Amino acid sequence: MKFKNWLKTITFYEILVGMKATLTHLLRYRPITLQYPHEKRTLPDSYRGMLALLRYDDGTEKCVGCDLCEAACPSRVIRVVSAEVPGEPTKRYAKEYYMDMTRCLFCGLCVDACPVDALGMTREFEWAVYDKRQLLLNKEQLLAIGDRSFLVREKRLELQHPNVAFFNVAFKHVPQKPT
Amino acid sequence: MVETSLKLVISLTQIAAVMGVVLLTVMLLTLLERKVLGWMQDRMGPMEVGPYGILQPIADGIKLFFKEDIIPAGANKFLFSLAPILALVPALIGFAVVPFGPNQTVELFGVQFKPFVISDINIGILYILAFASIGAYGIILGGWASNSKYSLLGGLRSAAQVISYELNVGLAIVGVLLLAGSLSLVKIAEAQAGGFWHWFVFAPPFPQIFAFVVYVISAVAETNRVPFDLPEAESELVAGFFTEYSGMRFAFYFLAEYANMILVSCVAAALFLGGWNAPYPGTILARIGLEHISWMENVGWFTVKVYFFLFLFFWLRATLPRLRYDQLMRFGWKVMLPIALGNILITSVAAYLFPRS
Repeated sequence: MKFKNWLKTITFYEILVGMKATLTHLLRYRPITLQYPHEKRTLPDSYRGMLALLRYDDGTEKCVGCDLCEAACPSRVIRVVSAEVPGEPTKRYAKEYYMDMTRCLFCGLCVDACPVDALGMTREFEWAVYDKRQLLLNKEQLLAIGDRSFLVREKRLELQHPNVAFFNVAFKHVPQKPT
Repeated sequence: MVETSLKLVISLTQIAAVMGVVLLTVMLLTLLERKVLGWMQDRMGPMEVGPYGILQPIADGIKLFFKEDIIPAGANKFLFSLAPILALVPALIGFAVVPFGPNQTVELFGVQFKPFVISDINIGILYILAFASIGAYGIILGGWASNSKYSLLGGLRSAAQVISYELNVGLAIVGVLLLAGSLSLVKIAEAQAGGFWHWFVFAPPFPQIFAFVVYVISAVAETNRVPFDLPEAESELVAGFFTEYSGMRFAFYFLAEYANMILVSCVAAALFLGGWNAPYPGTILARIGLEHISWMENVGWFTVKVYFFLFLFFWLRATLPRLRYDQLMRFGWKVMLPIALGNILITSVAAYLFPRS
């Protein structure tokens, strides 16, 4: 046994085994590379990409300005300024909604926290910018991301979430989708 | 007078041709290395510039030319500028004595010259070894002149590596020199003519296979390649001796490393694998009556051998991790040196008892 080990040492046996392995890979060349900008892999359904605000089918914003997402966010990405819906004293909506995506770590806690499913994670990930300020998104931009990412929207006032039942009251004067 | 100037013109043409081929090979190697490493690791290597990325070296060259050239504050400006040149020039100078093809003498306008070797001097291999050790000055001085601790450590490691491995290169070669009876690379390669069983790796009376292994390992260490790339160990020393270098100064170090790789491959091919000789006696082209172009076959075989060694360099790089520093020194002094010395002893006894005809 000792002689065998000695023989292996002086013939560089382990090194030769390793070199054989690399040569096998060279001869049986099957690259696993994806040429990224030219070909893209299909993302899983649960992919956590850019955050977006969602609407109902008729253009009504889902967000009711409850601030729960702001409270749930661990890195203080979200800032909500809510206001009353004009003429509907019992209803509120998000007058302003900002997300500082430079700090976002895509944990998805805001999406979990939202009682009305107004927040969603899209599958957009190509958000490299030259200026960090471009990642400070306002409400219009977030709605636009939601519009282009979720082409099929939920019907208005359907029970998606147990808590929705509480908000599930018809109302009229809501901000319209900008055209 | 006319003859002297004509000689000068021919020599300059040869030098320009060899330099051109070497620098083009360096360009090719930068691409080939990335490709081969990629293939061995199930990647593709560079693919974006040109079809299959073949224009990548040109893009790299353009990028290096336009990069900002920085001299760090507190650096010794003169030595900082001199060091990359000191690394590159010895690597290129060595090619002056490498025979790329058969030892023919051609007469052109009444001047006789050898077309495949710039200068056939009698101490060719000694000349290469001497200049190879000067190349280490470029690395050490570059590390010192940068005024950076990482660079200095890289340079010092290079110095320690040179004293461990330069010696082994010299001793590994001695066996071949004993058998060939000459220091001229042309004569050594000529002594191995007539089939691969005459190459010094396999040659009677005593095959130089141990010397060959010692030489190849030492050559890898000489050129600071993986697994002996301690002077530039990026996980420990940022980038080693060229940490502070940028732009074309860095490119000079890069060129020097690749030129050194080609040089040690040429020497290994000439000393151990029969130089320009084909692995069968004579050449096929000469046998079918095309003797005037049989040199093409010889040059082809030389190229194949050199590229085999270059591939070996890439192959080792794809396979092996870096050695620890004490392992490297111990391996050089306690293993390789005794093997090389023992090889000299046995070779001299064998050469005395069974002299080659």
